Amino acid sequence: MPSELNANIQKWWITIKVSWVKHTAYRLNFFLQIIGPSLVFFFVKYNLWSSIYAGDSALTIKGFSFQQMITYHMWAFIVALVAQGHGSWNLSDDIRMGRISSYLIYPFNFWEFHTASWLSFQAIQIGIASFTLFSVSFLGFLNLPSLEVMGVGIAYTLFISLFWFTMQYFTGVLAFWLEETWILRVMLNIITYFLSGAIIPLDLYPQWLVNVLNYTPFPYLTYYPIKIFMGQGSHLTQGLFIILGWTLVFAYINHRIWKKGIRLYTAAGM
Amino acid sequence: MQEPLISVKNLSKHFVSYKKNPGVMGSFTSFFKRNPVTKEAVKDFTFDVQKGEIIGLLGPNGAGKTTLMKMFTGIIVPSSGELKILGSNPWERDKNFRKKIALVMGQKSQLWWDIPAMDSFLLLQKYYEVSDQDFNHRIEKMGELLGVTELLHIHVRKLSLGERMKMELMASLLHNPEVIFLDEPTIGLDLVAQDNIREFIKDYHRKNNCAIIITSHYMQDVQALCDRLILIFDGKKGYDGTLDNFENILGNEKVVSFTFSQAIQEGKEDRLFNNYKPRWSEDRTQVELRVCEEELRELSSTIIKDLPVTDFATDKMPIERVMKELMNNPELLNAQ
Repeated sequence: MPSELNANIQKWWITIKVSWVKHTAYRLNFFLQIIGPSLVFFFVKYNLWSSIYAGDSALTIKGFSFQQMITYHMWAFIVALVAQGHGSWNLSDDIRMGRISSYLIYPFNFWEFHTASWLSFQAIQIGIASFTLFSVSFLGFLNLPSLEVMGVGIAYTLFISLFWFTMQYFTGVLAFWLEETWILRVMLNIITYFLSGAIIPLDLYPQWLVNVLNYTPFPYLTYYPIKIFMGQGSHLTQGLFIILGWTLVFAYINHRIWKKGIRLYTAAGM
Repeated sequence: MQEPLISVKNLSKHFVSYKKNPGVMGSFTSFFKRNPVTKEAVKDFTFDVQKGEIIGLLGPNGAGKTTLMKMFTGIIVPSSGELKILGSNPWERDKNFRKKIALVMGQKSQLWWDIPAMDSFLLLQKYYEVSDQDFNHRIEKMGELLGVTELLHIHVRKLSLGERMKMELMASLLHNPEVIFLDEPTIGLDLVAQDNIREFIKDYHRKNNCAIIITSHYMQDVQALCDRLILIFDGKKGYDGTLDNFENILGNEKVVSFTFSQAIQEGKEDRLFNNYKPRWSEDRTQVELRVCEEELRELSSTIIKDLPVTDFATDKMPIERVMKELMNNPELLNAQ
């Protein structure tokens, strides 16, 4: 029914808009959110790799010169902004603190609310990523690839962000059983950093490990998208199928967990 | 007879939690072997609610009031029994059902803290599919009645408790619900704000003829709003009837108070008071007695004749007193 569809679109759109208002409610917080990761990137990673290369511009490590390594990490930063920025703290807090009671009463579902919030968050992240990207290229730190490569890279990264969201959602809904889910999320983030190539490019890993990792979602989260942006795209189709498969698996698990969890839910503290 | 809006039959809910002995050793043993403890929060509850009724759900803390409210609104699933509200099973949470009910929780904010109330209202307008015309009309009317029109664009976290509660009420009534659940809507508010909110609810009910279930610890709420009372003790229904009958539950006693021009010595004239559960003021110039209607005339005239009475008043048994008496002696309900 078109009117029902229209009403639904309006519900999603207003949720996205309200989420924007919420995300930007605290100006200082918002500002720190933008510059925080950049500071980490410039101070930690730049210093780490510049001390490893020790100013030797001729040195290459597994085919990476110092300049290429920095380029790799700039793209890692951009990819992380778009694909892995979202956390599920709100979601698990909602469950733990009994706040989902409100969503159970409103005629707009919990998953719809959180997915719409995620879309709104994504829009902000894309804005920040674009701003960062054009600033660093304008300052001459990074050469932007062709429009075609950029298009493929962005589409791929957005697809990954959907997977990331379903995985974060999974750690969030576990709050039905776990008192605290942050430790799980921190572990997942650290594992992801290492296995996705966000800290060290996968080229530096033993080949057998990379072969195994190629069946997991991890390398497709950071390493392969960076390669696309750097004009060395490979494993594109394989990556799409693997990520799609894992996304469906997590979406199904999330659905089951919700169904079971909501029967256990006691709305404590309501 | 009209089909009831809410029909509850033998409704029960139990929760399972795990017992943990204190200290590190307790944590360690409960890590490997958990001791489940089942708590019967609501037991075998049965009642009906008709359109237009306002029902006060009363009981001590932990009696099961909020558990009932959670089951009515579909937040938790009953363990057994039947529950139909507006023809739906609440826990199936059909979207059409959700559009017809509202819940206000005095202890928990449903508005988003970091944005002005108006932004939350606009969100709810879309969720409940309220037309712009109805929305604007209702916001204007309710804002005026509650005196919060000026505050609609202020961040919710900057509002006082009373102001926030008014916004919560507005938010829950925007979609013109048929059944409204109010869980301690006046908790923590000053007397003026309490009164304001009661008047608003009364007015809203008169105009919309909706069904309202309200839980509260303030007897004034119940006296001002409810036609019918349901008492819940330890998960079970203790009383279900009119407010008038409730006031007479301890017999047809009246409260009679006497003020004297001078203190009445302890021991002196005790025979006059002792059978009537006297409550003396500290300086013993005032006494409150509980007297049944038949003896009232004779006793009063004896006291007025024998003692220096300057003032004297009779009143119905206040429901706070009835409640307190019943909480201390729940067996009185069975004796009815």
